[in-house]
Amino acid sequence: MLLVIEQFLNGLQLGITLFLMSAGLTLVFGIMQVINLAHGSFYMIGAYVGATVAALTGSFLLAMLAAVAAAAAVGCIVEILVLRHLYARQHLDQVLATFGLIMFFNELIRIIWGRQPLFMNVPGALAKSIQLLPGLHYPTYRLAVIGSGLLVALFLWLMFAKTKIGMQIRAGSSNREMVGALGVNINLLYTLVFGLGAALAGLAGVMAGPILSVEPGMGESILILTFVVIVIGGIGSIRGAVAGALLVGMVDTLGRAFLPSILRTILAAATADSVAASLSSMAIYILMAAILVWKPRGLFPAHG
Amino acid sequence: MADTLLQVTGLHKSFGALLATNNFSLSLTRGHIHALIGPNGAGKTTVVNQLSGDLPADSGTIYFRGRDITRLKSYQRARLGIARSFQITHIFENLSVAENMGLAICAGLGHNFRFWRNWQSTAAIKKELPLALERVDLLHRAELAARHLSHGEKRQLEVGMALIGKPELLILDEPMAGLGPGGTVELAKLIKKQKGQVTILLVEHDMDVVFSLADRITVLVYGENVATGTPEEIRHNPVVRKAYLGEGE
Amino acid sequence: MTRKQITICCGALFLVFLPPVALLGGNPYLISLASRIIIYALAAASLDLLLGYGAMISLGHAAFVGVGAYTVAILHFHSAAAEPLFSWPFLYAGSNNALLTLPLATLSAAFAALIIGALSLRTTGMHFIMITLAFAQMLYYFFISLEKYGGDDGLSLAARNSLLGVNLGNSSHFYYLCLVALVLFLIFAHKLVNSRFGLVVRGAGNNDRRIKGLGIHSYRYKLATFVIAGGSAGLAGALLANQTEFVSPGLMHWTLSGELMVMVLLGGLGTLFGPVLGAAVFLSLETTLAMYSEHWMIYMGPFLVLTVIFAKRGLFGFLTGDKGKNG
Repeated sequence: MLLVIEQFLNGLQLGITLFLMSAGLTLVFGIMQVINLAHGSFYMIGAYVGATVAALTGSFLLAMLAAVAAAAAVGCIVEILVLRHLYARQHLDQVLATFGLIMFFNELIRIIWGRQPLFMNVPGALAKSIQLLPGLHYPTYRLAVIGSGLLVALFLWLMFAKTKIGMQIRAGSSNREMVGALGVNINLLYTLVFGLGAALAGLAGVMAGPILSVEPGMGESILILTFVVIVIGGIGSIRGAVAGALLVGMVDTLGRAFLPSILRTILAAATADSVAASLSSMAIYILMAAILVWKPRGLFPAHG
Repeated sequence: MADTLLQVTGLHKSFGALLATNNFSLSLTRGHIHALIGPNGAGKTTVVNQLSGDLPADSGTIYFRGRDITRLKSYQRARLGIARSFQITHIFENLSVAENMGLAICAGLGHNFRFWRNWQSTAAIKKELPLALERVDLLHRAELAARHLSHGEKRQLEVGMALIGKPELLILDEPMAGLGPGGTVELAKLIKKQKGQVTILLVEHDMDVVFSLADRITVLVYGENVATGTPEEIRHNPVVRKAYLGEGE
Repeated sequence: MTRKQITICCGALFLVFLPPVALLGGNPYLISLASRIIIYALAAASLDLLLGYGAMISLGHAAFVGVGAYTVAILHFHSAAAEPLFSWPFLYAGSNNALLTLPLATLSAAFAALIIGALSLRTTGMHFIMITLAFAQMLYYFFISLEKYGGDDGLSLAARNSLLGVNLGNSSHFYYLCLVALVLFLIFAHKLVNSRFGLVVRGAGNNDRRIKGLGIHSYRYKLATFVIAGGSAGLAGALLANQTEFVSPGLMHWTLSGELMVMVLLGGLGTLFGPVLGAAVFLSLETTLAMYSEHWMIYMGPFLVLTVIFAKRGLFGFLTGDKGKNG
């Protein structure tokens, strides 16, 4: 039972990371109708900058700030230099161009930091575990990640529901022509949205740094998970991103943790383990396929 | 007694609180060019969409050749002999003119899973393609990519594609829209050329074209049929004049 | 003869005479490089069917290459290890016979394409791109989890398949086998795109709504094209497994799908022959640039971005004036 709670929390933590990644990306998809494969690169940049600043200054807080700022800055530059030319183009062009960006960033990281993974330490204050329940100790750091993610979600919700800019973004997400008609500076809005998405990705990256390894190409594996989240949740919808992220986080974590034991009750141990290994890595994709059969546009598509 | 090809009775369509089509009725005589006119926002395209099957009506009936087609989908009505063109040209821009026509011909041939022989060697294509191109004066443009056609030629292509399969009723939704005077003349000539072979429902804004081509005209105001008659009758109809020109011309 | 026909003839002559010329010149490794190029050309050309003609942007094409490669490797593994692949309903011990492995590889890849395509083609646009990517990644993880066949480390083949007594270990012989496969595919694909079937697919790729308005069920045609492309990619994978005598899940990583797309773009979208040129250029660049700098990708990335933004015609279009079906 305690094990279930622990895995549940792990799933929540993965879900938070995925939410941070997918919130920005789903907005870019929905508002600018552009597919950006390089989103994972912002995650990677956040992790690398964060790890470096943390090692240099010893302050995790500084590392986080630097990571978010760096990712946002790179995001804005990329938007102005590259993405702007792609809004009117076909998806194929967007895929190819952003694929070129991935190549560039991965290689850039390799040149600056080398191929070996970087190590990032959990900040000292959070390095212990907390006793949540009798017998259940959970790493404080992971709890902090969950907490920060929830704070960010709250901030996003406030921004979208209460501020003018938030309303403009929401309007743009469901009706692009209206945004221009409302007299909003489209170019600025697009750059801001893109920069926000990149910043969130950078935050996800720096927070994931101590948990996963910081290495070139780390952006790609999380990117695909992010795509799955967006497909499941629905393009352009933050609500969908939340639902999708939680679903994917849970299914993946709980699947990996409990499938072997569940299958062992039905099959012989050796078979059960190998089947479980295959199934748990495929679990979220099977989930995605199942949801697609039922709702081809995702659970909460922005356009209804 | 004139032969009624299309009989529309009591068509209603609402979008939420907006009543777009209000008790609309129409009688189309075989062989006629029947124009549907009305001020902007009158709901002409909505009516057309309900006739072609692209939009289901809320209530009312549509009879085609004596058969109730009210619940049929657009491609089912297409199979029965109703074709339409679109306000925004809806052709295959990256294919050549001949390929565009060829596709329309192939669509009528049933399954197209033949994957070995060149499509141009199909018997039906060899027979019908030159005729189809010639019918809309595009024979000399056959090899050109459709997106390189002029606006007017694209319209010709669309009409040409609609005419394949020899429909009995051709619905033209504002074919003159966006054409210059030269293009309008050409397209009007083309439409006139089809008279006798196909019955035409022409939705148009260009009054010169309407009055020169139409046998009968129906006027649509706020989704309602306010007048139907010959061009002369409509020209002198006080309700129509008021709708178009307002009080105190 | 048109420019296009001349270019193709020149290319064909070059490819046919390459091995003897290479051997005479004392550069036998060129034959291996050329085999590799031809294999990738086959994979890229099959992708062109999807990208250039049907407007189906599949980021998961490499998965089918991988399925084909693994089919060959698994069959070989069982025949070499004298351990049956399965015992029921009949005993099957695996095979090293190219006449069996190549078609089986093609069929398994086609089958995978049938399943993935059937699900993915219910969506369009951005959804389709992401879904094909996700399914390919699923297959990637699936093969990693197959411990028996090497998992993450991959699986080696002791030798290449045998074909009717022809020794495929000889690089010239193997090269001609690959060339034959490529030529057969190009002929078939060329016929396909100019047929009635191809006309419908091209129309659907250009304006799917209109095709449906004409009463044609574009889904079936697109699915058939997806399966054909997937199967052909599987054939390329089978040849690749023979060429390198090694398979690993990395073969189906989506970055390989991206590289195939780049080859199609470089050579010319919607030309079928262009991707052959694209594969040649891309792989030659990769080989030569890698000798000068291990960080050659830092040039490739921006080059790609600039090409996409400013110059879309591709090399084939440049040489022949043929802008392809989408030019």
